Amino acid sequence: MINGRQQTIVVEKGANVNIIIIVFPGVSCDVKLDVRLAGEGAEANIYGAYVCGGAERVKISVDMCHNVHHCNSRQLFKGIAGGESRVDFYGKIIVAKDAQKTEAYQENHNLLLSEKAKVDTKPQLEIYADDVKCSHGATIGRLNEEEQFYMRSRGITLEDAKVLQMISFISPVLENITAETERVAVAAEFESHIRNIIRNI
Amino acid sequence: MSKDKEILDSIADKEYEHGFVTDVEQEFIPKGLNEDIIRMISAKKDEPEWMLEFRLDAFRRWQKMTLPTWAHLDIPEIDFQDIIYYAAPKKDEDRPKEIDPELEKTFDKLGIPLHERAALAGVAVDAVFDSVSVTTTFRAALAEKGILFCSFSEAVREHPDLVRRYLASVVPVGDNFYAALNSAVFSDGSFVYIPKGVRCPMELSSYFRINAAGTGQFERTLIVADEGSYVSYMEGCTAPMRDENQLHAAVVEIIVEKDAEVKYSTVQNWYPGDSEGRGGIFNFVTKRGICKGSGSHLSWTQVETGSAITWKYPSTILKGDNSSSEFYSVAVTNNFQQADTGTKMIHIGRNTRSRIVSKGISAGRSQNSYRGLVKMLPGADNARNFSQCDSLLIGSQCGAHTFPYIENANKTAVVEHEATTSKISEDQLFYCNQRGIGPEEAVGLIVNGYAREVLSKLPMEFAVEAQKLLQVSLEGSVG
Repeated sequence: MINGRQQTIVVEKGANVNIIIIVFPGVSCDVKLDVRLAGEGAEANIYGAYVCGGAERVKISVDMCHNVHHCNSRQLFKGIAGGESRVDFYGKIIVAKDAQKTEAYQENHNLLLSEKAKVDTKPQLEIYADDVKCSHGATIGRLNEEEQFYMRSRGITLEDAKVLQMISFISPVLENITAETERVAVAAEFESHIRNIIRNI
Repeated sequence: MSKDKEILDSIADKEYEHGFVTDVEQEFIPKGLNEDIIRMISAKKDEPEWMLEFRLDAFRRWQKMTLPTWAHLDIPEIDFQDIIYYAAPKKDEDRPKEIDPELEKTFDKLGIPLHERAALAGVAVDAVFDSVSVTTTFRAALAEKGILFCSFSEAVREHPDLVRRYLASVVPVGDNFYAALNSAVFSDGSFVYIPKGVRCPMELSSYFRINAAGTGQFERTLIVADEGSYVSYMEGCTAPMRDENQLHAAVVEIIVEKDAEVKYSTVQNWYPGDSEGRGGIFNFVTKRGICKGSGSHLSWTQVETGSAITWKYPSTILKGDNSSSEFYSVAVTNNFQQADTGTKMIHIGRNTRSRIVSKGISAGRSQNSYRGLVKMLPGADNARNFSQCDSLLIGSQCGAHTFPYIENANKTAVVEHEATTSKISEDQLFYCNQRGIGPEEAVGLIVNGYAREVLSKLPMEFAVEAQKLLQVSLEGSVG
């Protein structure tokens, strides 16, 4: 992935592409994806997880173009912003005219951990066909205090509770890493980073 | 056969029932826009010097501004020199106090009786015809409570202190291209002031009517709700059917002080153009309110069915702690209509809350966009927003788009947004058909159900009309 340069991915008839973007703390990046579903039955799944604890700038932008009918796409991006980091997410689903029977979903969820961190998200839908099912959802929020209370009342420390919450927050993305050794390694790396961030708050 | 034709004719007629023209003698000023024209408008309205200065300043700024192009709209070029900026029905010298019976008839026909005895109980109306307010009903009854409800021009003359204090305090003169244009040439509109602790006993309403050809309407509305007061304000509008496009560029400013509540409802039914996309109103409006004091509340409800092009984003600045705001919208586009509408919620104060529910319906070859901004500033501790934007597509030639902008710079603030796009399900249609409900009626039924959450927020008088309007707007869009 080259920073700042747009990557174009064309998915032809019946093909299937899975992309997983992982951004560890300390990494600033500018990811631009342009995915074109160009043949009937094409499918694209894009997942992303990012965790920032310092002064990172994470920029992700995805254009998901459904150019023909009967294509599916799914996007799931989850991230945590702490420190003085700044996250910008931009994701557009474009369904061309006559691209009927499209199913396109997109989700972007963020946690804000510190006063100085900032998250902007711009999910967009541009739809020119009617027989479609499209949706997007975006949230920017904080760690749920009721969950923390639940865990603490069962003897888990606040620090551990937060770590658990954050790991479970990004795990839906990590689950899509099919190779087991890599999945375990990535999850372990995230966990140690998250522990560090929590300790520094 | 002839019966079929009758039915077809009646449906065709029903397309836009407010499309008639009133034949009254009107006075116009010359076409075009320059400082002399602005001086002329100001002189016609007997305005004080400061008001003229305000207009000229706005005009000079407007000249340096460029048209906004970020909206998802295809706007034909507008020649701002080809518009008449002021048109008013001529007053009959013999009866200066009375309303021209022809005008009265017009408003009667539109369902807005101007006689207090015939008027809807509990609704006071300010009727604006082209560039002037023709009458304001129930003024005496309202004055007893200290409520000011009058035309804007009158407010400038009689309550200059209030107007000067609040005018352009929410929408600055140079806010955007159309707001600057409006500030330079605005003609009439409504002024509302609710004093401290007063609960306005009736619904206040303005009805805007464009009648003259070749003109634009530039109304200005200012609503001030002082501490602890409450008011519900409704706005309606229609225009004749013409092949030309007419410009409507209004500015609405709302100031909500501590613990006050304002409910602002709009049923926008400007002429949308014909089924070929000819004619119709360009509705480029700036509406903004500020929840200034703590605990204040501002609620926007809009039903947008008319206009060839709509560019409108009623917004709230949540400045006071614990203040809250809501935005409920149904936007229907059919044929060649285009709409780019939504809201902005700017959270500044602590514990501020906002809620956005937007329902878009596109049919024919129309394009319907939701565009919204939710912004949490660093001081907005524990602020909360929830947005839901649904789009319904009817037919394969139309488009539905969602462009939310979400910005959060406070770790305790929570923002949630969700949007869906789909068409009316075959199952629902089949269910209705099978019970003897025809396809058109079924679509009407489903659309009304879909928009119900918003329609239920409208004052009763408006809700009935809005429901009918939805049905008519979608006529001919099925099959």
